This record gives sequence, structure tokens and C-alpha cells, in this order.
Amino acid sequence: MSANNELIVLTDLMLLTVIVQRGYGDLVAQVALDAGVQGATVFHGQGTGVPQKYLGLLSLTVNTEKEIVYIVVPAEQADRLFERVFVSAKMDTPGMGILWLSRLEKMATYVPHEVAARFGVHRSERGR
Amino acid sequence: MAERQLRYGIYLGALQRHTRQLSYATIVEAERLLPKRPRLRVIDLHRLLTPYVSLRFIEQLQAVVPLALLLIGFQALALRSSLLDTQSVVLGIIAVIVGLMFFMEGVKQGMMPFAENVGFHMPGRTHLGILLLFSLLLGAAATFAEPAIGALQAAATAVSPERAPWLRQLLGPYVTWLVLAVAGGVGLAVVVGMLRMVFGWQLKHLVLLIAPPTLALTVWCAQQPELVPILGLAWDCGAITTGPVTVPLVLAVGVGVAASAGRTDNPLSGFGIVTLASLFPIIAVLSVAIYLTSQGEGAMLPVMAEQVEAWYREPPFPEIIGAFRAIVPLILLLVLAQTLLLRQKIRRRNVFIYGVAMALVGMSVFNVGLTEGLVALGEQAGINVPWAFSPHQRTGAPALYPYLLGISLTLVFAFSIGYGATVAEPALNAMGMTVENLTHGAFRQRTLIHAVAAGVGIGAALGVSRILFDLPLWILLLLGYLIALGLTIVSREEIVNLAWDSAGVTTGPVTVPLLLALGLGLAHVIKTADGFGILAMCSVGPIVSVLATGLWIDLQERTEGRRKKGEA
Repeated sequence: MSANNELIVLTDLMLLTVIVQRGYGDLVAQVALDAGVQGATVFHGQGTGVPQKYLGLLSLTVNTEKEIVYIVVPAEQADRLFERVFVSAKMDTPGMGILWLSRLEKMATYVPHEVAARFGVHRSERGR
Repeated sequence: MAERQLRYGIYLGALQRHTRQLSYATIVEAERLLPKRPRLRVIDLHRLLTPYVSLRFIEQLQAVVPLALLLIGFQALALRSSLLDTQSVVLGIIAVIVGLMFFMEGVKQGMMPFAENVGFHMPGRTHLGILLLFSLLLGAAATFAEPAIGALQAAATAVSPERAPWLRQLLGPYVTWLVLAVAGGVGLAVVVGMLRMVFGWQLKHLVLLIAPPTLALTVWCAQQPELVPILGLAWDCGAITTGPVTVPLVLAVGVGVAASAGRTDNPLSGFGIVTLASLFPIIAVLSVAIYLTSQGEGAMLPVMAEQVEAWYREPPFPEIIGAFRAIVPLILLLVLAQTLLLRQKIRRRNVFIYGVAMALVGMSVFNVGLTEGLVALGEQAGINVPWAFSPHQRTGAPALYPYLLGISLTLVFAFSIGYGATVAEPALNAMGMTVENLTHGAFRQRTLIHAVAAGVGIGAALGVSRILFDLPLWILLLLGYLIALGLTIVSREEIVNLAWDSAGVTTGPVTVPLLLALGLGLAHVIKTADGFGILAMCSVGPIVSVLATGLWIDLQERTEGRRKKGEA
């Protein structure tokens, strides 16, 4: 098998999805990066909920424009990051947002050749 | 010391949050059984309210503080005179900031949802005639609710009844006529704007149809000696009307109308109403003035000094009454349209009540701050500024600077006020984004902001110099608008929309009172008949500068295209 048609698929990962009010996505992404995650993606969105479930008139203070943050984490770090995001985004206040963790089957992205070689992939290329 | 062993894992576990897994269904079930809402902790209130309040506070702070600092700083540095009544001015400015913050939030929560709903549902369900009648009333009611309108009344006291009797009459006993004329003008403008959306008329044609008669009327009035002082007021009214209430409300209805007329594709459909709303009130005010003066001296009412001592004349009661008078018609109109014409209930009633209450409180606080803060500050600057080149009015001290230097300092000051007020305007930022998208990046957001700001600055400098040298305003206006019309004919429709609208966007509730008071203060010292006209010049300036910038960008693109063709 030559290096050209080889694809490294990474496994044992989780997807952390965080929905926060517009403007807080960067904070969440920064927390994730500080925790050693490689990247975070921020989307813009619009949220609705059961009106005034917890907040009554105070629900006006919650921005309905949201930011959705996707973070892919290794399974080992997932719970730790989950907790850190929960605490730093102050999710224990109503209206601040929601986050969930879901299992990912596989993921692929750029893997440096040296790293790949350490795991025995691309050895054929070197041998040639 | 006794030693106690603790597993590190247990210690860490105590520090960390404990997780407990629960089925979501059990939580939902438990919440359904809960009789009432759980109580919020203090920290929750802080987390919810602090960002909400500070965001809105900073928004207004950015609009007010730079201008106020500029006025105070110029007086302190260039004129070496410190602020009088510092305490009341500062308190007034704080009241303006807080009042605007409350008011804008109230308008957003209490009135916007109605306007959007009515605009979206009404065209399909009612006759076009009723829709137009509603537009007329909406434009008029929104004008009453415009915060800057209050500045007109505040300006009345600074007009001398001897030199401009009819102007004093219009601002004094006949002020209801004046405000009604302005409101009627805006209402008509909204009607034409709606028709434009339904039928897709070009703004270029409308402007070419409406602006020349307005100018002709102005020139005619300029020949009548008793009407001359009113020209400045009439043209300033055009600038005052297009503020933070009228524009978004009318746009909200307009977008709905455009959508139901099937013209959603045109991103410019929202533009144009601002332009019309600045032109129609001019005609309306001039007409009222012509009617009144034709009645002769007999129609003049005595200018009453408000001597009556009654509880409702003590502050803050006049301000509160004024706020009610300004806002209640608009709310009534929107509620009636919703309940009677559309037969819909008011949704989220507590939010609606909150919005109305906020608007009322905000308007009252703003009105208190308006006279004490903004008008006082502007007037002081106006009275002090001429000291730069002429002997001081009160003390008779010699001029601070040689004549030419003093005059140029004053003009630079006027320019920087106009420029500074515009750069900070949030509405212009939003407009810049739209324009950048529309022109595919050719007309940059920054280019637009600086073009408009330079136009307003030059306009302010021209307006100030017209008061200083007592130039006839109508000639300046005529020249400005003739250039603008000429450029309009050769410009593309998008740029025309943009340029004419940018004139209205720049004159917000902070700039208007400041510039009005500045002009009146100047006129008081220089002893010209009226100090209006600065705002009018500030409206022409950006039209010309934006049109010119647009043409210049087009020209550049064309030569670049030709060069590329030549190379190929």
C-alpha cells in the first residue's frame, strides 16, 4: 500500500456541542483550547425556548441569537472539558445555554507525516 | 502534629463538580409537577442583568460622551473658559444617557414587534387605502415620539421676538402647529414610501420630482422678508424628524409591505423613506408659515412667559407629561391596528407593558436631561466660541486670537463636531455593511463612514460660518441641493438611495439638540436673526460627498477595467 491512498482515521473521540448567547462562543472556544483541544468551530444561530419558563420578564435579558460551538475531544478528556465548559460558561444560571456530549464514530484530519510514521503508517514510503 | 492520610483522588474529587446521571425524562416530569418558578439566586440576577444593562449603557455612552468632551475640551483648551454649572450639565448628560438607554429598549420591546406584525399581515388583509391611512398616522405618531423634537421647544426661548417675530410665534404659541406640520409631512412621506415599495418606483425619480419644488418654494419664501427667518427652522425640521424611532418603525412596516408585494429581492427597498421624510416636512412647515403670515399681524399671539405657578409646571412634571403626550398616540395606534384591523391579541403582554413603561420612563428622563445637559452645553459653547475672534460679549475682554486664526479655529471646531458625531453613529455602521455587500466590496464600509462624516463636518462648518457672516441660508441650500441633484442625475440608483438616506441617518437625538443649541448660542452673540440652519447644512453635506465618492469609485473601476482590457 502506498502512502498516497492511505487515510488515517482517528477513533475514540467525542463531540462537545455548546450553545451559548452570541458573544460567548469565543470564551467557550478559548476554554477548550486552553484545555488542550486542537480546535473549535463557532456557528451562528437563533434560539427559542418555552417562553419565560424560568425567567419571566427577565427572559428579555437573554439574547435569542446564539453561538453554537463544535469541539472534538479525545474520549479521555471529554468529561473534564465538559465540566470546565459548564463552569466557565456559567451554565448553572437559567438562560445561559446548553451543552451536550455525543460519541463520534471516526474523524480524519491532517496528521503530520512524522507522527504518522511513528505509528507504523507510511513505513512503505520510507523503505522505498 | 498528627498526620492524616487522604487519598489524592478523594481530595480532587472534593474539588471537582460531582456528576450525577439522571434521565432527562425525570427532570421534565418533576418540572411539570412544580407549582411555580424556582427563585433565582443573586448571582443569577447579576449574570443575567449585568451584560444586558452594560451593553445598552455603553451604546449610548459612545454616542454622547465623545461629543460632550469635544465641546468641553474646545472651550477649556482653545477658549480657556471652564464649564458653567458643571454639576447640572454633567447630571443632565447622565440623564440623557440613561434616558436614551431606557427609551430605546422600550421602543424595541414594546413597539417593534407590533410594527413588524402589522406590516407583515396588514397588506394581505386590508385594503390598500386603509394601509396608506395607517402609514400616514404611523409616520405622524412616530414623529411625536421622536426624542429630538423636544429640542425644538427648548430652543424657543433663545429666539428673540423682535428680530424674528414669526419664528418666535411658530416656536411659542404656534408650536403645536409646527409639530403637527412636521408630523403631517412625515406621515405623507411614509405614504409615498409605502407606495414606492408596492409599485417599485425609483428613488431617483421621486427625488427629482420632489426636491426641485421644495427648492423653488424656499427661493420664493426667501423673497418675503417675514418668511426668511423661518427657512432655517423649516429645513432643520427635516433633519430632526428622521431619528431612532421613526426610521426603524417605518422600516419594520415597510419590510412587511415589500415582502407581501413580492419585492423581497431588492435589498434597497428599505431605503428612501428617510429621504422623503426629510423633504416633506420642509414643505409642510413652509406652508404653515406662509398661511400664518398671510393672516397678518392680527394672528400673532402674545408670547407668554410661563409664570403660572402650579404643581404641573414644576419639574419633573412637564417632562413626564411631555413623555406621555409623545408616546401614547403611537402606542394607541399600534394597539388599535393590531386588535381592530387584524383582530389579533397582544402576545406576551408583560413584555409589552415593560416596553411601554421603559419608553415612558426613558423619555421623561431624557427630557429632563435635554435642557439641563445637552442644550445648556451647546448654548454655552455657542456663546463662548465667538470670543476666539471678537471681544467677549459679557466681559468685553479682547479677542483671544487674531481674527483669521480665530475664525479658522471656530470652523475646525465645527467640522470636528460634525465629523465626530457621525463616526460614532451606530446606524451608519449598519448601513455601511449593507452597502459593502451591495456593491460587492467596491464601496467599503469605512469609505462610506468617512465620506458621510466629512460631509456632515463640512456641512456643520458651512452652517456655522453662515451664522457668523450672516450669509443668506437659501443661497447655500440652493447651491448645495443643485449640486446634489446634478450628481443624482448621473449616479446609479443604489448610490442615490444610499447618499440621500445617509443625510437622515446622521442626525440622532444627541447631535440635534447640541447643534441646535450651538447655533442659537452663536446667533445670540453675533446678533443674527436666527440660529437655525446648521442641521440643514449637515444634511446636504453628506448627500454631495457620498454621491461624489460613489461616482469617483465608479470612475476608478471603469478606468481599471479599460486598462485591463488594454493589457489583454
